[in-house]
Amino acid sequence: MSAEDAVERAFWQALEDLKAGSEKPIESYLRLVPSGQREELGRMLADLLAARGPAVGPSAGESEGYRRAAAVVDEVLGARGAAGILPGTLKAMRNARGIEPDAVVERLAADFDVRGEEGRRALARDYHRLETGKLLGSKLSRRLLGSLAAIFDVDPDEVRAAARPAAKGPSLSSAPAMGRGAGARAPSPPSPSERLPDPEVELVERLFHGGPDA
Amino acid sequence: MAEFDPIEEKAVEMLDDAQLEAVRADTVAANDERFEFVLWNLCLRGVAVIERVCRTRGEACGLGEQEIELAIEDASARMLLRLSRLEPQPQVHVLAAEIAVACVERAWPLQKSAPRLSARTPQLRLIKGLDEAIETGKARPNDWENS
Repeated sequence: MSAEDAVERAFWQALEDLKAGSEKPIESYLRLVPSGQREELGRMLADLLAARGPAVGPSAGESEGYRRAAAVVDEVLGARGAAGILPGTLKAMRNARGIEPDAVVERLAADFDVRGEEGRRALARDYHRLETGKLLGSKLSRRLLGSLAAIFDVDPDEVRAAARPAAKGPSLSSAPAMGRGAGARAPSPPSPSERLPDPEVELVERLFHGGPDA
Repeated sequence: MAEFDPIEEKAVEMLDDAQLEAVRADTVAANDERFEFVLWNLCLRGVAVIERVCRTRGEACGLGEQEIELAIEDASARMLLRLSRLEPQPQVHVLAAEIAVACVERAWPLQKSAPRLSARTPQLRLIKGLDEAIETGKARPNDWENS
């Protein structure tokens, strides 16, 4: 076992003990690693085991990393709306990992076997609308959320929980692109030149607007 | 973020981690709009741990400054996701440390990786008569210390 593996194992051991409420003195974890790795493990354990009270330490607030992290929290919570915090977290994770929106759309297209140009365009449009908070979380399908969880390598339950609308979110209505406005005129029969809806576009509509079971 | 009664905000800020987590679980289950403020407070506590663990672990793993900062941002977003769950969660500093380590240890495109052997089989040729030359002392095996 390498020294780095030993640090990792000791750290996870401490985490598990803390979760179980049976943490041991810091020395017992330090003994698990070679002497050259003890400083690194010690710093990590100090952060982990330090009792944290109500206030954030002043030194933490001064670092650039802390400011960037706090900015992410502010942005995500500030954008909370009809799809909960999901839009903000998707965007933040995507930016932090250097993933372009097109790459997410590609993966979604592969997962749902959307091959046509119209279907892909619909996917790109709806993913953009999701990330910008313009869709209703309650209308997103479970399989779409599952696919997004796989793309971002997070737990699907977390993605579903994050999509729950804020208590007083803006009242958006789901507006499928295939829907037609209710005008005063009676619907006229489709002209021969009118095309049938693209099945892939319909699939995308169901994924983003059809509700959990769609 | 919605504004709340300052006294209520102060009371939330004074809670310890375990109490704050209990309030989070209650407000998220009830879809109480104060959830947002509770979550913000919890996250600020977690962010301090994320920052330090990402930095310590990131430096040990050979990540650059920019990669460490990206790991911090990634971990912050993932902590928010995790804290939106209905189920009770571990204490926020434990949760933050767990997520921070996972974010540092994910694959980084620019991370220095250990040298790997070429997949191609090397094409080696034996020099004709070398074995005989070694046996007779005309040629000596390469000695890296002397050459």
